[in-house]
Amino acid sequence: MTYQEESLLFNRKTQCTVTDHDGTIKETDAKVFKWKVGTSIYDAHPFFEIVRSFIEVFEKEETTYNFPCIHLEEGKLEKICDVTIKINSQEIIIILFDYSTKYYELNKIAQQKNESILKAKELELKNQYLLEKEKFKNSFIANINHEIRTPLTGILGFIEVLEKTNLNFEQEELARIIKRQSLHLNALIEDMVDIAKIESGKIKIVNERFLFVNVVEGFKETYAKIAEDKGIRFETYIDPNIQEYLIGDRTRVFQILNNILNNAFKFTEEGKVSLSITKNYQRTNKLSISFKIEDTGLGIQEENLTNIFNRFTRFNEDKQISGTGLGLAIVKDLVDLLNGEIKVTSTPDKGTIFDIKLPFKFDVTKSTSEKKKKKKKYSLPESKKKFRILVVEDEEATQFLIMKILISHGSFFVDVAINGAEAISYLERRNYDLVLMDLKLSKVDGYQATHMIRNNYGDKVISEVPIIGFTAKATEAERDKCLRSGMDDFIAKPFEQEDLIYKIVKQIAKKAAS
Amino acid sequence: MKLSKKVVLLGHFGVGKTSLFRRFVDNEFSEDYKVTLGVQIKKKVIEMPDGRELSMIIWDTEGHADIEDTRKSYLLGSNAFIYVFDLTRIDTYKNINQDLAYLAKNHPKVKIKVIGNKLDLVNEKETLKIFKEQDIAFDCLTSAKTNKNVQDFFLDLAKEITV
Repeated sequence: MTYQEESLLFNRKTQCTVTDHDGTIKETDAKVFKWKVGTSIYDAHPFFEIVRSFIEVFEKEETTYNFPCIHLEEGKLEKICDVTIKINSQEIIIILFDYSTKYYELNKIAQQKNESILKAKELELKNQYLLEKEKFKNSFIANINHEIRTPLTGILGFIEVLEKTNLNFEQEELARIIKRQSLHLNALIEDMVDIAKIESGKIKIVNERFLFVNVVEGFKETYAKIAEDKGIRFETYIDPNIQEYLIGDRTRVFQILNNILNNAFKFTEEGKVSLSITKNYQRTNKLSISFKIEDTGLGIQEENLTNIFNRFTRFNEDKQISGTGLGLAIVKDLVDLLNGEIKVTSTPDKGTIFDIKLPFKFDVTKSTSEKKKKKKKYSLPESKKKFRILVVEDEEATQFLIMKILISHGSFFVDVAINGAEAISYLERRNYDLVLMDLKLSKVDGYQATHMIRNNYGDKVISEVPIIGFTAKATEAERDKCLRSGMDDFIAKPFEQEDLIYKIVKQIAKKAAS
Repeated sequence: MKLSKKVVLLGHFGVGKTSLFRRFVDNEFSEDYKVTLGVQIKKKVIEMPDGRELSMIIWDTEGHADIEDTRKSYLLGSNAFIYVFDLTRIDTYKNINQDLAYLAKNHPKVKIKVIGNKLDLVNEKETLKIFKEQDIAFDCLTSAKTNKNVQDFFLDLAKEITV
């Protein structure tokens, strides 16, 4: 491009200025800036201060310096120029090439490019921040769950103890309210933990072989009583073509159906609730099962159906009907995790239908005539003495609760140690039939204490004492950790009295039989 | 006696060089990002503790991901380089040690300072820990937005380059 073409295209102007070595302007054509002869170039713009450093190092040879894209201002006038500075022994020649038009165009392009890169970085940062926030939230929920479960165990346990005392009608009613509220709180914690687990990807789908009819039988038992109390019908149907044993996540299937059935019963005051289970299709060892839960309850307004699976969604304002607003959100997440589908249709005042399709597998090689496993019954061995239990627990309320449960059973003596170290010193002094070991203890925790009991003693009375771990962390991982550390069983807080007694009796019976 | 010293702001684009420049010279800050093309130059007269006046001529250069892309003529006659990086963007400091080595090699007499900017967007304690772990040295953490450490940094630099 020639000088003329470039000048025409970019509306370029040039200004030539000559100064002496002190920077005093000797002549200028003032085509860009109105500099005056006799003034100092150093006062024209701070950029020209650079000339001082060139003069300092100047020897004899003429030297040229080129500076592209320099922003120069004079009052309100702003220009972007390429600047050439030539220094010889007599003078300094400064040539300004005003490329403002060209540079402003380039500036727009650079602005767009950089902005888009910065926006992408900003989004990345926001995303990272949200992920960290989510991680914090999930760990917070897990911790708070632990902190709430411990006192809740005490509350629920003491209510059970309280209910067995002589209460008048008013006291019974108050105890019932406390129990209902505590169970509601417990359900809320369970739901929050489930949501946190789903979000953090911690829910693992387990594919195990199970007796399918057991799931439905369980619902029949639970909900037939509720239906009777409410004066409504509960009808169930299982397609006889469905295999007896299926492979899938029994726990999650139970959780999904239980949540929907629970809602159906909550909102149905007359008529019926039905659970119909049919086979959709079967290919090789895979099959899809449809679970249809239909009620003749309140129904849901059409505009609310789209939000039904959102968290903390409750359309019914009736405070007598309890709920966390998390149940259906969990159901939807679990159905998605199982690669299933869920649909809901409803007519206000007529009822609601939930249609859930879930995939299962079945084992083509196994016999389908296996009998269902029943909980084996155990009883305490014949003994003239009471059985001695060592409870290792630092929480006063839980200590007291367990003591109450065991002593009121009538077959046990109870000692209490507050940490692992104290438990070991008790075991060294006295023979115990069983140890109930909390896991989260100060000084020596439950795992360490178990390890020491199992490994440090030649005396089998100590080293083989049955140990049941108990903790507020009701997870599979925790259970496995207990068993790996040498414990014989595990019970999660809050526990039911019946479960605790069953596990204790089972371990004592097994030990006596061995 | 009047002194004049040239200080050049260097670093990636969008790290806040212009914001630091405007905050120090004019005590202004804008949330809007405006790209710098070429170089903008401003002067700030600083009264030194010994009574001398220093004209700090600050060159705010356009950002480059690679320090070697910076126009060589912008660096001529400099007394100090301020290498600025963005505390929230790892790409602005992941090559810092190579960039500083390049500057030190080609401009051995020029003082080099390193600033981590946008302190208002990060947790200072966590950031210090991360930088220590990653063995990234810096002279100062600043926020042009809140003016945290900006004035003190430039005044300390003024003292250092006039010794």
